[in-house]
Amino acid sequence: MTTLTAPPAPAATSSAATGRRRRRRSGANVWLTVLLILASVFTVVPFVAVFVLAITPEGAQTIPQRLPDEVTLDNLSAVLSASSFLRWTLNSFVYSIVSVVVILLTAAMAGYAFARKRFPGSNALMWSFLATLMVPAQATLIPMFVLVSRMEGVNTFWGLIVPTLANSQAVFLMRQFIKGLPDDLFDAAKIDGAGEWTVFWRLVLPLTKPVLATLGIFVFLWHWNDFLWPLVIAQTDEMRTLTVGLSTLNAETVARARIMASAAISVIPCLVIFGVLQRYLVNSIATTGLKG
Amino acid sequence: MTLQRTAPPRPSWRDRVRDPGWGLIFVLPMLVLFVIFRFVPSLGALGMSFTDYRLSGDFSFVGAENYRRLIEDDLFFDSLRVTLLYALMYVPLTLVVSLGTATMLHHVVRGRGLFRGLLFLPYVTSFVMAGIIWIWIYDSNGLVNGVLDRFGLGPAPFLTGNQAMVLGSLAVVSVWKSFGYSMLILLAGLKNIPEDVMEAATLDGAGAWAKFRRITLPLLRPVIFFVLVIETIVAFQVFDTIYVMTGGGPARASYGLVYMLYDQGFKFFDFGYAATIGVMLFLVVLVISLVQRYVLDRENT
Repeated sequence: MTTLTAPPAPAATSSAATGRRRRRRSGANVWLTVLLILASVFTVVPFVAVFVLAITPEGAQTIPQRLPDEVTLDNLSAVLSASSFLRWTLNSFVYSIVSVVVILLTAAMAGYAFARKRFPGSNALMWSFLATLMVPAQATLIPMFVLVSRMEGVNTFWGLIVPTLANSQAVFLMRQFIKGLPDDLFDAAKIDGAGEWTVFWRLVLPLTKPVLATLGIFVFLWHWNDFLWPLVIAQTDEMRTLTVGLSTLNAETVARARIMASAAISVIPCLVIFGVLQRYLVNSIATTGLKG
Repeated sequence: MTLQRTAPPRPSWRDRVRDPGWGLIFVLPMLVLFVIFRFVPSLGALGMSFTDYRLSGDFSFVGAENYRRLIEDDLFFDSLRVTLLYALMYVPLTLVVSLGTATMLHHVVRGRGLFRGLLFLPYVTSFVMAGIIWIWIYDSNGLVNGVLDRFGLGPAPFLTGNQAMVLGSLAVVSVWKSFGYSMLILLAGLKNIPEDVMEAATLDGAGAWAKFRRITLPLLRPVIFFVLVIETIVAFQVFDTIYVMTGGGPARASYGLVYMLYDQGFKFFDFGYAATIGVMLFLVVLVISLVQRYVLDRENT
């Protein structure tokens, strides 16, 4: 058994060679670092620009290479006191958070069923769920809209939220994770006489916490950043989400400082999520391949 | 077999009653959602493409009329060309940027976590947000033209110039917003390349570039291919940035496939025709996926 594990440390490469290599590596490292700094400037500068423009007085701006002479909070307060902006923010939160809660629950249930239960047609059903991944959301936009408008769902929260809850990526991820849990746990629960709901609430949900957290972050970001569906379904100002609201501000050519202030505020929740959960987010993409 | 091993206590009447149905009960909420909001609309798209469905809800079957109209519609082929051109710019650019940054992250000694975070940052924003920032960056009084101005160049008409320039500018925005995803996938792939292969090559005196070309690229091929397919599909669905930044213009230079679908559906309320464009979009994505299947199967045998 042990013959296959850990090869012994490579015996004594000459220390001179290692030293040379290390020196050459450190030279290359300076270059790598410089290039990475440049790439980071590319990704970060636009964010800095939004926040700088958001606190620059209207009209005083657009000399991009230096900071504004004068700083103002007028743009931000004007945005926050405009009633529709807060309403859009609220709508985005409702859209995102309700979706997170419902998708996590229903996907965990479905994932549990597909992983641990055999019922007539379970395989066919799993495959038909997966097959919907092949149909881009935009391809079904028109029939979805017609369906929801026939059900009187245009400009309602349920019309906005419910059609986006059928999420095969979430189901598949939960199924894979629950399949990987040790059988003994489920057997033990059964022997202890735990009912089906008890097993789900007391065993499945607690054990899947890490994957639920990952999925929750992604579902939140997907919905917070979603655009096309809210654009067609939320047609009144008071039903708009932040992305749709921002795009209308942009189309109405409202003063630029105002737009940038709105954009700055709207990106804050994402930046908070990123700040707090960055490592988590980054690792989960590598391991689960979830795509926004 | 497992039944014997775990030896459940005598099956009670409750077990017999509840066992067959519980799987279905757990799957039921998601199943209902899928049937109503995935299966029905998917078939609905196909069905509607054979009708002249209007906003009022009135429709009659028109056979293949929509498809006939589509092949005679220059606008459709233009939008297909726009999308293809965009994909031809976006996909290679995003691959180069994400592979380049992933390789650098893989080799850098200090600050890897910090750089990885900073490079991934734009991924958490929306395309709408990205579009709004980049409108200003591309503006004649904006960031890039401000820099160009210092060198006595410019102003470059990033969003108002010719088609190649506009689509290229849009592609850069999408790369900025989303290359972090592919970067992380490729980085995970790089970590899976066995350390000793690299060591052996180094001892044989291979330079960095030779190692990259002869070892990294071949071993990373499946991952690169995955990224290519995903990004190509994403490219064919481009909409948000076009809507926010150019509105399909100037002079329909950025009038892509999904933009046309939206335009026909929600500006002209020609739902039957718009649904037909949706079916076409589905076929394009299907072909890309089938090509992926074919290539992967051939590689594995």
